Amino acid sequence: MAGEIKKRISDALDLPGDIVLNLPRIVITAGISALIENHRGIVEYTSDIVRLNAGEGTLIIKGEGLLIKSLLADEVIIEGRIKSIEFEY
Amino acid sequence: MLIIKLWNYFRGYAIIKITGENAERLLNQAALKGIYLWDIKRIDDKTLTAGVDARCFFKLSRLARKTGCHLSILRRKGIFFMINMLRRRRALVAGALLFIASIYFLSSFIWSIDVVSQDPEIKKAVEDDLRRWGLKEGTFKYGLDKKQYMDKILQQHKEIAWGEIKIKGSKLVVELVKKKLPPELEENSPCDIIASKDGIIEEIIPFKGEALVKPGDTVCAGDVLITGRIVTKSDQKSELGQQDASDVLLVHARGIVKAKTWYQKAVSVPLVMEEKLPTGRVKKAYRLQLGKSTWSFQLGSVPFALYETETSAQARLLPESIGDVRFSVIYYREVQLKKKFIGVDKAAQEAEKQLLEQLKSLPEDIKITRKKMDFALDSDEKNVIGTLTLEVIEDIGKEQMIY
Repeated sequence: MAGEIKKRISDALDLPGDIVLNLPRIVITAGISALIENHRGIVEYTSDIVRLNAGEGTLIIKGEGLLIKSLLADEVIIEGRIKSIEFEY
Repeated sequence: MLIIKLWNYFRGYAIIKITGENAERLLNQAALKGIYLWDIKRIDDKTLTAGVDARCFFKLSRLARKTGCHLSILRRKGIFFMINMLRRRRALVAGALLFIASIYFLSSFIWSIDVVSQDPEIKKAVEDDLRRWGLKEGTFKYGLDKKQYMDKILQQHKEIAWGEIKIKGSKLVVELVKKKLPPELEENSPCDIIASKDGIIEEIIPFKGEALVKPGDTVCAGDVLITGRIVTKSDQKSELGQQDASDVLLVHARGIVKAKTWYQKAVSVPLVMEEKLPTGRVKKAYRLQLGKSTWSFQLGSVPFALYETETSAQARLLPESIGDVRFSVIYYREVQLKKKFIGVDKAAQEAEKQLLEQLKSLPEDIKITRKKMDFALDSDEKNVIGTLTLEVIEDIGKEQMIY
C-alpha cells in the first residue's frame, strides 16, 4: 500500500523512481561494465551469472568471466563480458 | 579509481581466498558492515578471491566464522608489507641503493663537451683550447669555475662577442657568438673595377691599378676595366701560369670609367580614349558607425549600370567622450562611358608626355648626350607607340673582389 502511494507521488511530481522508490539504478558501459546502485545484496555470484536482490524481484546479469570490481552496501560494479541483464519477478 | 588504489597501497591490503558454501552471504554481511571488498573473483564452486583492507581483515574473519566460511591470505600488498619484505632481503636493498648512488656519482662528471657556434673553425679551436686547459671528459662538474674558463676563451679568441658555459646533466655546453666583422670589401682588400653594363668607353682614369681598356673600346657587363692585379716584373712575356706569386701585386683598384650607354623606353597610347562622364543622376545610402560595427541603410539596389562611389566625410553625432557614433552619406553617381577619338597628333603628344615622365626615373648622375623620340602607329592602327632612345654617359665602374 505504501509502495503504491509512493509510486503515485513519484508519477505526479515526475520524480525519478530510483530516489523515491529506492529501486535499483543500472548504468551499463557497453558490454564490459555495469554499475548497480540501490541493490539489496548478492543472491548468487559465479563467473557466468550474478543474481542481485533488486527489491521487487531479482536482477540477473549473465555473461562470461564476470568479476565484482567493487562491492559496497548500496553499490556494486560488475565487469566482464556482459551478455544480458534480466529481471525475474 | 587511482586515488583509492593509492590509499589502499599506503594502508596495506591483502588478497584473500574465501572458501565456503555461503560466500555470497559473507559478501552481503561485509558490505553492510562497511567492509570494502574489491576485485571479487569466482575461482570455483566454493572458492572466491577478493581484495580487502588490512585493518578490515580481522572484522571480516569474525564474520566468516559466523557464516561458516574459511579465509586465507594469498598475498599481502602495500607499503608496510613491502618494507617488511625488504627487511628480510638486505642484499636487494643494498643493490638498489648502490645503483642509485652510482648513477648519482657518475652523473657528477662531465661526459661530453659541446661547443655551439656557427663557425666550425671557432668550434674546433675552442674545443682544443678547453682540452688544453684541462676541461675535458671526466672532469668533476661541481665546483667548476665556469666564469674563469669563459674569460679565458674570450681572452684567447677576440672574434667571439659573447659566450656562455652551461652544464646540462653530464653535458657541458659552450655557446659562442661570433663578432660580426666589418663589410668584406675593405679599403685595402684587392679588387678589380668591372663594367656594370654594356657600353663604349669614353674616358678612363685609373687612380689605382692598371687600366685594361682604352677610350673607344666596347665592353660588356662583367668585363674587367681596371685590374687590381699588377705584374711588377718588366718581363711580361712569360706566360701567366708561370708567374710567381711574388711578382703579382694585388691592389685595391680605383678609378673613374665613363662610358656611353643607351636607354630605351616605349609607351603605347590608344587613339580612342575612354572618358567617364557623370550623367547627374545620384543615389544616396546612409551609413551609421557605432564603435567598430557599421550599419548601412539603403532603399533598393543601385539602379545604374556604371557608377562611381563617393563617401562623404564622417560626422560625429555625439561628443567623443560620450560615444563613438558616426554618420556618413554614400553617393552613387551614375557615369557614362564616352569614347573619344583623339587623333594621331594628340596621341603622340600624350605619348611624349608619358615618356618625359619616365625620364625622371633614370639615375641622376648621368649626362644625356642624345635624345631621340619616334612615334609610329602599331599594326592594327589603334595605338600610337612612342619610343624614346637616350644616349648617355655614365660611370659604369663597379668593384669586384679578387679572390
